[in-house]
Amino acid sequence: MSLLLEAARQPDRTAGRARRAIDWLPVALLLPLFALFVVWYVAPLFGTVLNSFHPHGLSGIRTDEWTLENYLEITTDPYYRTILIRTLSITAAVAIASAVFVYPVALFIDRQKPSVQTYLLLIYITPWLVNVTVKAFGWVLLLGPGGIINTALRSLGLIERPLPLMFNEFGVFIGLFHAQFIFVLLPVWAAMQGLDKNVVYAAANLGAGQATIIRRIIVPLTLPALAAGLIINMTMSLSAFTTPALLGGARTKVLSNLSHEINLVQLNWPLGAAAGVVLLALTFVPILLVRALGRSRIT
Amino acid sequence: MLELRGVNKAYGSNHVVRDVDLNVEQGEFFSLLGPSGCGKTTILRMIAGIVAPDSGAILLAGTEVTEAPINKRDLTLVFQNYALFPHMTVADNVAFGLTMRGVPRAEIQRRVREALDVVKLPGLDGRKPSQLSGGQQQRVALARAIVVRPRLLLLDEPLSNLDAALRDQMRWHLKEVQQQTGITTVLVTHDIQEAFALSDRIAVMNAGRIEQIGSPHDIYTRPTSSFIAAFTGDINLLEGAVEGDEAGGFAVRLNDGLRVLVSGEVRHQAGARAKLLIRPEAIALASPVEPDGHTRDENVFEARIDDATFLGAQVRVSLRVGDLPLIASVPGHGFEPYPASRTISIPRAACVLIA
Repeated sequence: MSLLLEAARQPDRTAGRARRAIDWLPVALLLPLFALFVVWYVAPLFGTVLNSFHPHGLSGIRTDEWTLENYLEITTDPYYRTILIRTLSITAAVAIASAVFVYPVALFIDRQKPSVQTYLLLIYITPWLVNVTVKAFGWVLLLGPGGIINTALRSLGLIERPLPLMFNEFGVFIGLFHAQFIFVLLPVWAAMQGLDKNVVYAAANLGAGQATIIRRIIVPLTLPALAAGLIINMTMSLSAFTTPALLGGARTKVLSNLSHEINLVQLNWPLGAAAGVVLLALTFVPILLVRALGRSRIT
Repeated sequence: MLELRGVNKAYGSNHVVRDVDLNVEQGEFFSLLGPSGCGKTTILRMIAGIVAPDSGAILLAGTEVTEAPINKRDLTLVFQNYALFPHMTVADNVAFGLTMRGVPRAEIQRRVREALDVVKLPGLDGRKPSQLSGGQQQRVALARAIVVRPRLLLLDEPLSNLDAALRDQMRWHLKEVQQQTGITTVLVTHDIQEAFALSDRIAVMNAGRIEQIGSPHDIYTRPTSSFIAAFTGDINLLEGAVEGDEAGGFAVRLNDGLRVLVSGEVRHQAGARAKLLIRPEAIALASPVEPDGHTRDENVFEARIDDATFLGAQVRVSLRVGDLPLIASVPGHGFEPYPASRTISIPRAACVLIA
């Protein structure tokens, strides 16, 4: 305690030199975590990036040679390319669906009493609180060939053979959309809460109806929040592993499954590293995309 | 033009507006004046349709609009925080109401330019509200409200967010714009000077009720309650009992024995307890050099100066007549603190009896 007080007083006493002097206490407090990060995160990541530029040989990574072959293979091999495109399409579909559905839901919640709002938000948060594996098996019960939906439709005589609701892109889409909707809903709802209600009243006062107010006032003013939500949403879709593995099955692999397969099944670490680096690079795409979008629409 | 009949509003057990009756004439500048929390803003929001009254009726140009939706009332409101659309340019902000009314594009452009000229804000069409000063935002909000030529213009403390110098300037500007456009206007304010300077008539509110409606002059010189007297300026509030008739008025015997003559008709029985209001500026100090003759329309007392505070244009003088303390406000120019013993005079007409 006295040490902290001393540190706090320091700048006043040496006001002239304060700008140059470094306060070592915060640095010392941050150092352990920083070291942990360097040793177990930055260094291995750096190693992975290096590995991705080495060729793979029978005896493992040939560190004496450098090549771009791995990247060429990931981006040009038809099998890998299909997976790459599938990953991007599912991510885009989840983002678009989230952006479309978020406004009705957020507007509805925003209009309830504060106590009701808490419960409604809790309902939308629960998918995130449930373990991802449990959630996926829950979807199997609903969407599977012998699941509730197909059984119900068949007993009603509406279909003869079960609809392919999972072990395909649709299953992965449903699982990811369900799990990650909250990351779009929360910021948009919060932005609506933070909106100056007088601005909405002003629009109504000048003759705007409900639909016009939503279109011309509420949506434009909450777009930055939607953009922020979409960054998280898309980043998580791109890197999702368990949900695609369980709901997509072996035929509907995405990039994270592929990277796992190459690294731990094929044991081709350089190619796996390249897949990982591509995945990492792709997660920056939504961030840049949304930022560019934000800059053009909102000042 | 605007009529309120027995309007009530309560939030839970908090009865914020009680039985308010109100009549605003065509072209009038009408103010709701009162301390914060007196219900004046709630009344304005009920007129605008943002808040629904619990009971009573609101009529606009003879038509009841109590249940009419907010966007169908053809009146505009200038919000205290302006509530400009932050993502739209100045021109788009002003054009919003016209677009909603389906006005043709060419006419919108013309009227937006006109409105921005009226509020003396040309050449900033392309700016966003965040790029404007408080005073400029205020003008945009005003332009946005008048451009649609509403039947009624509502102003919610429009000047309270501006600094003193700008507030003064905008006050005259507001008056000018209202006279120029002739739009019936209802202003909500807690600023007495603002209400006095702008209004044709004022309704003074206290705790959800309207206590008095009248011209600024009426309100100031003939307040009907000690609340209004104290709210609208400095006062000497003296207690006493009404005595009999006196030529051209009547007398009040104050509790400490002083007898004050009041002009006007006696509306009280002799002996009735009453409060006597004297504004500090109504008390005149006789010049120490040449004590002048007093007319019989004045009360004349011998007083002693206890203290004097120089405030520039005015000097605030603490006096004592016998044991009775009085506050006087006299012109700062030429004020002499000595001698301390002085003759003071108070016109009968400046003594107001409050029940």
